[in-house]
Amino acid sequence: MQQQGDAISPVVFEIIRNRLIAITEEMRVALQSVSGSPTVTEASDFFTGLFTPQGEVASMGFQVAYHAPVSGAFIRHISGKPGMNVRDGDMFIGNDPYIAALHQNDVQMVAPIFAGDQIILWAGVEAHEVDVGGMDFASWSPKAKEIWQEGMRIPCVKLIDRGEMREDVLEMIVTASRLPALLGLDIRAFIATLNVARDRINELVARYGAATVSEASRRVITSTETRMRARLRELPDGQYHAADFLEHDGHTNVLYSLDVQITKSGDTLTLDFSNSSKQSPGFINATRPGLMGAVAGAVLATLAWDMPWNEGVLNPVKVICPDGLICTAKFPAPVGSATVETVWVAANATMLGLNKILSASPKYRYRAQGLHAGAMATFNLGGINQFGEPFGLHLMDPLAAGSAAFPSKDGVSGGGPITSPVSSIADVERNEQVVPLFYFHRRLAPDTGGAGRMRGGLSVEVALTLGGIDKAQALVMTHGAEVANSMGLNAGFPGATIRQTWGTNAALNGRRVDAPFEIFGPKPGLMTMTNRDVFAVSWQGGGGYGDPLERDADAVAKDIIEGSVSLQAARTIYGVVYRDGVDRPATESLRNEMRRERVGGTFADNVSRKYRGNTDDGAALTDGLRIVRDGGDFHVVSKAGYILATNSTRWREGAVAQTMEQLPDEFGIRLHEDLRATCWHCPASGALLSVDFHYKHRNAPDDAIIEPHAIKAMLDA
Amino acid sequence: MPFVIGTDVGGTFTDLWIASGDGETRVFKSPTTRDVLGGVIDAMQMAAKAYGLSFEDFCADITRFGHGTTVGLNALLTGTAAKTFVITTKGFGDTLEIGRLRRQTSGMNEFEMTDAFLRNRHPPLAPRSQIIEVDERIDANGNVIAALDDAEADRAVGQLVAQGAQSIAVCTLFSVVNPAHELKLRDRIRAALPDAFISLSHEISPSVGEYARMSTTLANAALGPIAGRYLSRLEDILRNAGMKVPVLMMTCAGGVLPTAVLNDRPVFALFSGPAGCVVGSRALGELIGAENVLTTDIGGTSFDVGAIVQGKPIMRGQISIAGADLNVRSIDVDSIGAGGGSIASVEMGDLRVGPKSAGANPGPVCYGRGGTEPTATDADLVLGVLDPENFLGGQMRLDKEAAARAIEEKIAKPLGLSVMEAAWGIRQILDSRMADLMRRMTLERGYNPRDFVVLANGGAGPSHAWVLSAELGLDSFVVPAAATAQSAYGIATCDLGFVAERPVYVRVGPGAKPADERLASVSAALKSASAEAEGLLREASPQSRITLERRVSIRFRGQTNHMDIAFASEAMNMESYGQLVQDFNTQYETLFGRGASFSQAGYEILGIQVAATAHLPPPSIAGAGEPLVKAKTRMVVFDDPANAVETVIYKTSYPPPGTQADGPCIIEFPGQSVVVPPNYKASADKYGNLHVKRVQS
Repeated sequence: MQQQGDAISPVVFEIIRNRLIAITEEMRVALQSVSGSPTVTEASDFFTGLFTPQGEVASMGFQVAYHAPVSGAFIRHISGKPGMNVRDGDMFIGNDPYIAALHQNDVQMVAPIFAGDQIILWAGVEAHEVDVGGMDFASWSPKAKEIWQEGMRIPCVKLIDRGEMREDVLEMIVTASRLPALLGLDIRAFIATLNVARDRINELVARYGAATVSEASRRVITSTETRMRARLRELPDGQYHAADFLEHDGHTNVLYSLDVQITKSGDTLTLDFSNSSKQSPGFINATRPGLMGAVAGAVLATLAWDMPWNEGVLNPVKVICPDGLICTAKFPAPVGSATVETVWVAANATMLGLNKILSASPKYRYRAQGLHAGAMATFNLGGINQFGEPFGLHLMDPLAAGSAAFPSKDGVSGGGPITSPVSSIADVERNEQVVPLFYFHRRLAPDTGGAGRMRGGLSVEVALTLGGIDKAQALVMTHGAEVANSMGLNAGFPGATIRQTWGTNAALNGRRVDAPFEIFGPKPGLMTMTNRDVFAVSWQGGGGYGDPLERDADAVAKDIIEGSVSLQAARTIYGVVYRDGVDRPATESLRNEMRRERVGGTFADNVSRKYRGNTDDGAALTDGLRIVRDGGDFHVVSKAGYILATNSTRWREGAVAQTMEQLPDEFGIRLHEDLRATCWHCPASGALLSVDFHYKHRNAPDDAIIEPHAIKAMLDA
Repeated sequence: MPFVIGTDVGGTFTDLWIASGDGETRVFKSPTTRDVLGGVIDAMQMAAKAYGLSFEDFCADITRFGHGTTVGLNALLTGTAAKTFVITTKGFGDTLEIGRLRRQTSGMNEFEMTDAFLRNRHPPLAPRSQIIEVDERIDANGNVIAALDDAEADRAVGQLVAQGAQSIAVCTLFSVVNPAHELKLRDRIRAALPDAFISLSHEISPSVGEYARMSTTLANAALGPIAGRYLSRLEDILRNAGMKVPVLMMTCAGGVLPTAVLNDRPVFALFSGPAGCVVGSRALGELIGAENVLTTDIGGTSFDVGAIVQGKPIMRGQISIAGADLNVRSIDVDSIGAGGGSIASVEMGDLRVGPKSAGANPGPVCYGRGGTEPTATDADLVLGVLDPENFLGGQMRLDKEAAARAIEEKIAKPLGLSVMEAAWGIRQILDSRMADLMRRMTLERGYNPRDFVVLANGGAGPSHAWVLSAELGLDSFVVPAAATAQSAYGIATCDLGFVAERPVYVRVGPGAKPADERLASVSAALKSASAEAEGLLREASPQSRITLERRVSIRFRGQTNHMDIAFASEAMNMESYGQLVQDFNTQYETLFGRGASFSQAGYEILGIQVAATAHLPPPSIAGAGEPLVKAKTRMVVFDDPANAVETVIYKTSYPPPGTQADGPCIIEFPGQSVVVPPNYKASADKYGNLHVKRVQS
C-alpha cells in the first residue's frame, strides 16, 4: 500500500483529496437544486459519490450512508456484464435490489469518467423516488408476496449513450410511475449531477494528469483504511453481540430478529448475521446489497466519525451471512420497504454492537451510546391534491425521532438518525402550502426519551388531517410499535415505542372534535382518509444511558419543568418525588426501596462475593461495572464491590435477572407478545447493570466477552 | 475640510476609512473594545489627530458617516441579547427546538459533520419557558380556521405581563398570508406593555416557513433593545461632538440605512462586515471598469469570497447564525476555515492544513507567543514572502528560525521533505483549498471564473492572490488601495438600500396558464413591496432619486429550491409572466446545463422582492501618494522551493498614480505585502489600486 502512495507527493495527494471532496459536495448541490423530491431536497434521502473503476467508493457526501456500497456494486455489475460496451459519455440507470439497490424506490445513475480511452473514475448518484409504479402508490405494497407486484425494476440500462439521451427509454421509465413529472425531473437532476462530476474530474485530469488523479483516488481509500485499522487496534479484542427486532411482515404480526455476532480481532472486524431470522413472505426483507448498506451506514457513523468516509472504512470489515435470511432474501422475495425495515434494523443491531465495543474502550467510552431513531415510520398519502393534480407524498417528519444519550449528556430531542447526518424535515407551512395536509400540532412528545442516568432525546409527535381535499388513500406502517428499537446502553432504557393512532370523525373544518382514537398495530396498511379523520403519531425517543435511578434529581426536576418527563414517570422510572421541587429525603428513600425491590427485597451480603480491594484500582467495563485484579485472577465487580464473574466478562451469571412481558406504562414502551425485556441487577446494591431485549424463549447471551490479553491491556493502562 | 467616513467593527480591529475633500484617502485601525463603542471613538480620535483637528472640529466636518458593527452578532452568539418571549400557534411551541433537525448540525464544518458527539452545539434561540402558545389557526389560503378570541389573547398577554417581558416576537402560522391574528396580538401587547419591543413575523420576515420566520423574528426582537441602545449612544456622542449627519448603518443586503429606519429591524444589520467588503469591491469595480468581480479576503482564521456579477453582488435569502436559520436577505459571502493561522499537521503520513487554526492566540509559531504548531503564516515567513522585521508595519517581530524549526520537526522530517519543500507544500494545499472556494462561488453558480477580476483583500490576501488568480486561469489581480479596510471603504461609499419582500403562491400545472386572479395577487404584492421600499428610502433621503429593482422567486413545480429572477415590469400580466418563465428557463440552463430545464413540470411562484436604491454621490478620490522606496532584497520562493529568487522589497503606504514595478518584487504596505512574481508587473492607478498583471516573457 505504502509503495503505491509514494508515487505522488503528499502535497499533490492532499490537494486532489480536497478537490474530490469539493466535487462530491458540488454534486450534492446540483442534485438538491434540480430535484423535485422532498425526500431529496429536505430529507436528504440520497447519495452522491465518486468511485474507482473497481467500484470502491473514494469520496461520498454526508447523506444516507447506507448507499455507500450500493453504487459500487452497480458499477461492478456494469463492468462485468457481457456485451455491455461502456463508452465515454454513457450514463446508466438502475434500481434492482437483486443487483444493486436497497429497494426499488432508490433509483440510481452512474457514469464512467474517461481519460483518453481509460476509465479513471465513476460518478454515482442515487435518490429515493416517491413512486416507481407497482400495485400501490408510492411503491410500498404491504400485501406483496413477490417482487413483480412492487415497483418496476430497472436492472441496468444505458439511458445516455455517448452523450445522447435515449428519450424512448426515458419515456418507458417515467411512464411506469404514478408521478412521471417528478421522476422525470429527478432523472434530469441525476444527469446534471453526473455532468458536474465529469466536468470537474476532467479539469483535474487536465491539471494533474490521469495517472496522478487515479493514484490519488486510490490513496484516499488507503489513507482512510490506515486510520480505520489504527482505530480498530485501539479497541479491545473480543466477541460482542447485539440483536434488534422488527415486527409484522405486512401479512402477519411475526417477530423477526437481526442478530449480529461481532468479532473484533486486531485491526479487523467480522460481523456474523447467521443467527438472524429466515426471510419473510412480505416486503420487509432486504437483499444482500441492503445488508451491506446497513453495515456501511453503521460502521461509518459509529467508528469513522473523524475520518473521510470512503471504502477504506469498510475494507477491514468482513460480513458473514448465508443466503435466504431476512437480510439476504432470495429472489423473488418482495423487498419494497427494505430501507426502513430490515436495512434499518440491521444497522441498529450493528451500531448497538459497535457501541458495546466503544464502551469497553477506556479511550472511547465517552462516546459510547445507545440507538438513535430506531425506526422510520411510514405515512404515505396519494390521490388528487388541492390543485386537482395527482399526487403522492412520503411524509418525512418521522425522521424527527429522538437521539441517544452519551455518558456525559442527554440525547438530542428530535435529533433523527445519525446514519444520514444532514437530514431535515420541511416546515409545517411549506407542507401545507403544497400538499393536502393540515397539522394540529408538531411538537416534542413527553416521556418518549429513553430513561437513564443520561436521558435519550424526545421524539416529535404530530397530529394531522387532510387540508383542501375531502379524501385520499393513506398507507400507515412501521416497525417499532411493539419493539423498542432505540435501545439504551449500559442500563439505559430504550426510548418509547411508536404510537400510531387514528380518530375517525375526530376533526371538523380543521378543528378537533371529541371522538375515540383507535391505537394501531405496526402495519395497519392501506386505508381511506377523509378530512374528518385525524392521524396522531409519536415516534421513538432516543436510547438512554446508565441506570435511571442514578440520574441527578435536579436534572429530573428540570425535565419536569420543561415538560420532558411527567410527574408520574419521574416517580416510577427515576424514583424522584417532586412537589414544587425535589423532595430529597422522599426521593432518597424511594430510590432505595426501588433498588431493593429489583433484587427481591433484600440485598445479598455473602462475604465470598465481596471484593476486598479498592474497586477504583481496576478498569471500567461499563457504566456500572469494573474489572479488577485479584492475584493472578480478575473479577468483574459492581460499584458496590460485588463479584459477578471471575476470569471472564460473562458477568450476567452473577447478577439478578428480572424478566418482564411489559414494562410499566410510564416507559411508553409496548412489547410484542414474543418479545421480553430482562433487567440485570447487582445483587448487593440493586444497581441496574443492563437491559436486554430477547425472544420469549431465548435469553439474551452475554454481549461483551473480552479476550484475556485485552483485559490485561485494560488493567495495565 | 469635508470628510466621508466608514467604520467597520471587526473581531480584532475597528477599521476607519476616510476620504478628505482633497481626494486623499486614509485608513486607521484601533483595537476593538469590549463595549465596541470605545474602539469606534478611538479610531475617530486617531483620525482627528492625524488631520491636526480637535475631535469636535473633526466631527463637525463629517459629511457622511457609515457604520457596520458586530454588536448584534456578538449578542446572539454569546446569548447576551435581550430575554425574548415568543407567542405562537398552539401545538407549535417546540418549532425552535425541533429546528427542522437543522439546528443540531448547524455550524458544523465538513470535518465535524460525521461526528454525532459534536451535535447540538447551539441551544434554541429561546427556551421553552419563554414560549407562549395561543389557540388560533389560519390555513395556507389565509382562511381563519380558529379565530383568536379576546380571552385567549388576553391570557397570553397576561403571561407576558406577569413575566415582565420587554422583548416579544409574535409568529403564528400563515400570518404572512393573513396577518389579522398577529396584528391583534400586537395591539393587545402594546396596550398592556407600551414600552416593550415587539416584532411581528409577517413584517420582519414575510415568507412561508415557520422555523426560519420564527427564528428571524425572535432574533430581531432580542436585538432590538441592544442595538437601539448602542446606536443611540453612538449617535449621541457624535452629535454632541458636533456631527450634523445621521449615522448610516450597513445592512446585510448591501445598502446603508439611517438608524431611525433600522431601529425596528436590527436583524437586517446583523452581518454587516462581509457585506461591506463586497459593496466596497463593487464600488471599486465600477471605478476601474470591472463588472464581474471576485472579492477575496484572507484573515487569520477564515477565507471569505464574494462575487459581483454584472455590477450586482450575488445574494442569498437566508443565513445561519447561532444554530438558527435567519431569513435575512444578504450578500452571499462564502467562507472556509483557512487563513494565516491554519495549522499544518502530518497524521499517519498525510499532510493536512486546517481547518484547525492557531487563531491570534497563541497564533503562529513565529509570533513567539507559545504556538507550537506550524501554520500558513509560518510557511509564508520561511518562504520569504513575509518580512520578519516588517510585520503589521513593524509592530511585531517574527521569529523565522522558530517557524522553520517547527516546520522541519512537524512536517518536513515526517514526510522526508526539505523545510522549503514542506513550507511550499503547506502554501500549495492552503491555496488550493482557497481556489476551490472561489470555484464554488463561480462555477457552481454557472459563471466562468475567467470572466472575473480578482480583488485581494485582508492582511494575507495580496500575498496569495497571484496563485489564486492563476489557479482560476486568470493572469492578473487587483489590490485595492483600501485592501486592509475594504469593508470600511464599502460602508463609507455605499448607496442607501432596502429590500422589501412579499410571499405569494402561484401554481401552474404542466402546459397551463396562471389564473388572472393569481397574477393579480403578484401585482398587488409588487405594488405593496414597492411602496414600502420606496417609502422607507424617501423617508431616509427625501431628495435622492430612487430606483427600484424587482425580482420574482420561481421554481419548477415540485422543487424545493427556487431562483430569484429579475422582473422588469411593475405588475404581472400574462405577457410579463411569459417573459419571467423564459428568463427562468434560460438562467436555469446556464446553471445546470443545457437540457436541464423541465417546463413539463409546470411552475410555482413563491414570492417577490423589491430592492430600492437611493444613490449617494461617492467622494472623489485622487491621491498624490508616496513613492515606492526600494528597501532591500531578499530570497523568496515563488514556484520552486529549491530555487528561491532574489526579490526586491519596496515600501509604500499609498503608491502614486502611474507607479510601476516589475516582478519579482514585494511591495510592503503597513499591514500587507503585495507579492509580484517573476514575469508580472504591478502598476498603480489614479485611485491607489495596484494592478498586478502577467507580462509576456
